[in-house]
Amino acid sequence: MKHLDLRGSSSRSRITRSDGTAALLALAAGLILAAPSPSHAQGANKPLVIARNMDLNSLDPHRSFCDTCQIYNSTVYETLLTLDTSNKLVPLLAANWEASADQTKFTFKLDPKAKFSDGSPVEAKDVKWSWERLKNLKGSAAFLAENITQIDTPNPQTVVVTVAAPNSEFLNIVSAPYMAVVNSKVASANGAMAAADAATKDNAEGWFLQNSPGSGPYVLASYSPNNELRLKRNAQYWRSAPAIEDVVFRQVKDAVAQAQMLESGTADIAMQIDPDTAKTIRSKDVTVQTVPSYNFIYLALSPGAKGNKVKMTKEVREAISLGLNRKEILEFTLGKEGQLISAPIPLGFPGGSGFPEEPYDPAKAKDLLAKSNASNIELDAAFPNLNAYGVDLSLLMQKVQQELSKINVKVNLQPMTFSNWREQVSGNGIPLTAVFYAPDYYGSAQYVEYFGMMPGSPWAKRAGAANDPSVINPREQELLKKALASGGEEAATIYHEIGLEMIKDKVILPLVSPNLILAYNKGVKGVRYSACCNLPVAEISR
Amino acid sequence: MAASATLPRRKAPDWLTTPLLAGALVILFWIVVAATINLWAPYDPLALAGRRLQPPSMAHWLGTDALGRDVLTRTLYGVQYSLPVALGVVISAVVIGSLLGGIAGFVGGFIGAAIMRLVDITLSFPPVLLAMAVAASLGPGLTNAGIAMVLVWWPVYARLMRGQVLEVREREHVEAAIAGGAGRTRLLFTHILSLCWTPVLINATMDFGQVVLLAASLSFIGLGATPPTPEWGSMVADGAIHFYQWWIAFGPGFAILTVVLGFNFLGDGLRDMLDPRTH
Repeated sequence: MKHLDLRGSSSRSRITRSDGTAALLALAAGLILAAPSPSHAQGANKPLVIARNMDLNSLDPHRSFCDTCQIYNSTVYETLLTLDTSNKLVPLLAANWEASADQTKFTFKLDPKAKFSDGSPVEAKDVKWSWERLKNLKGSAAFLAENITQIDTPNPQTVVVTVAAPNSEFLNIVSAPYMAVVNSKVASANGAMAAADAATKDNAEGWFLQNSPGSGPYVLASYSPNNELRLKRNAQYWRSAPAIEDVVFRQVKDAVAQAQMLESGTADIAMQIDPDTAKTIRSKDVTVQTVPSYNFIYLALSPGAKGNKVKMTKEVREAISLGLNRKEILEFTLGKEGQLISAPIPLGFPGGSGFPEEPYDPAKAKDLLAKSNASNIELDAAFPNLNAYGVDLSLLMQKVQQELSKINVKVNLQPMTFSNWREQVSGNGIPLTAVFYAPDYYGSAQYVEYFGMMPGSPWAKRAGAANDPSVINPREQELLKKALASGGEEAATIYHEIGLEMIKDKVILPLVSPNLILAYNKGVKGVRYSACCNLPVAEISR
Repeated sequence: MAASATLPRRKAPDWLTTPLLAGALVILFWIVVAATINLWAPYDPLALAGRRLQPPSMAHWLGTDALGRDVLTRTLYGVQYSLPVALGVVISAVVIGSLLGGIAGFVGGFIGAAIMRLVDITLSFPPVLLAMAVAASLGPGLTNAGIAMVLVWWPVYARLMRGQVLEVREREHVEAAIAGGAGRTRLLFTHILSLCWTPVLINATMDFGQVVLLAASLSFIGLGATPPTPEWGSMVADGAIHFYQWWIAFGPGFAILTVVLGFNFLGDGLRDMLDPRTH
């Protein structure tokens, strides 16, 4: 799960009297520089500016884990496969590939033309080194490679991967930007390691802040934390060169500032604008496009949380779910810019569509609570105080508080920082919370592994399975095994069945899936949202 | 024609200035609102009152917020949180600070030096930053924010009181009391502290506004009041998210402005009234 920390500190600048002369000179210089000059009047070489609240935790592809990381990794590095506009796997570094019938062995043939930005060829040893490094660094995205037991490289162009258990989604995992292939020779020479002890011995993270030893269409030009990330075209790129030479990601914290930059022409693209702010964009030079996203916001109930004042049985959880008027919650948080979601598998993912709408029945909710001797209950609700994909969680929780008060459930709101929330949810547990999820790759297994009530899954732990084993749903584990051993439509049907089981658990209560607002200047073409890579920058032109 | 006798006009005292009256009226207004709002509030501050993000209209003079709550109602209710917090913080800071400052000035020596070094250390931190750090470590909530503000504020009064005590204890009536056999406690509380209150009172009045501002700042960054409390700082924060719906932040912002200005004017007026040097 990726997270955004949108409550960073803001900085202020002011011009003092003593700076006045300098400011005037700077203004004059700015005016001179801003005057149209024939050399770059039409902006053919003008950098593409993306205004973004960058949640980068690292520029090391195997340590990184965030939305912006997905964009960066897929722009300066490449994976063996990627997704096309209809989420179908297409070749990237691998020219072709095949999976064994039991979904445990995957063979990739690398494209012989593929080369890194230093001109050296991309070889099987680089793939093996990169994936072993991802696994052994034990970062947040290491789970993607956890299942890999062996990587063979019979020749420089062939990679054979063996996984511990059948995994029909492995090829989709391969398309995740964290599975980026790095130039192993260059990175190793600068302190990067892939060995089993890489987590403690690898010291290349700092080096990756200035270098990008990949084969992607762009290379890292410079990075200034909390300011900007600058990329330039990879002169050695082995496929069609991208249309735009320089790309600049500018750190812009809030949606309003992003919208203002778009309208003033100082930014070309912004994709973190919330629906209310999007409505205020008046400029005819700005295109505002709304697309359904795969992100969603959910409530979670923890039967095993230490702070529970009553036993949170399945009936109590059911009652809480029945007490939520989801349509009103959607109206209040997103208006028309989002959809309701019933199961924690998003629309558009295998098995993610066709779930029944969750009912709203406050009378039945009260009955259930009365039968459970929980007519007047109090729930402590700690939640990360942030805006996730246009949904202000504080606002959402205030609405939930209003809704649940109608069934005599008193909710005590406790907003906190994301790091405090994470500590609390993984520690004593939180009776009721709200948070968000964005996919790490295109595939439904990640949802079951994360939200399923299976022994060891993150949310089974957070729901207090150790204190209350009744939350475990053994059927979900069985079905997941079956889904991973099958594939295609059959797997999608099984994921749907798991989705129905997760709805019945009443631990994860998905609420809304916000649309993604892509706002960009009219002169910019090729802006789209991708399930694997967020924003495929190399496809953008003017 | 009868000669008209001209009566001498009574001149208003110098200290009775327009700002003092204006400040007193504004503060009186907010005190009355705080005491009576529950009786005449147009809407429930926590409940849905209309369509969300509605601009000001006859039904909602200051519009509605993102949850459809009436902004004017919430603004008026906000004073029920801001004034008690300010009162609590200022009184606590005055009591703690004056007591420690009084002891430091009266006793002196190692105890006095220790207290004053503690004052120096606390004052060496930027107050807002220190309050933020303490509030963040205690967790969100108005009570915790109040504790954080007291920790930041008491040293000001300790320093002020120590200065006063050092000056007063040299006066002749104190020497006379000592000669008359007054005990140390009686000396401190009856003969010294009773003469030191004027500057403390003036400072406290001026600080009310600053405390209201700091409490709102802490709530603005999420360290003060928790939702859905209609606290001014958190309401301004809601308004910052909905930047173009200006009315959400306007009401609480204007309320903060009036309270801070009111207390500043009142403090200035009190200084003019109580300080003999200004007469």
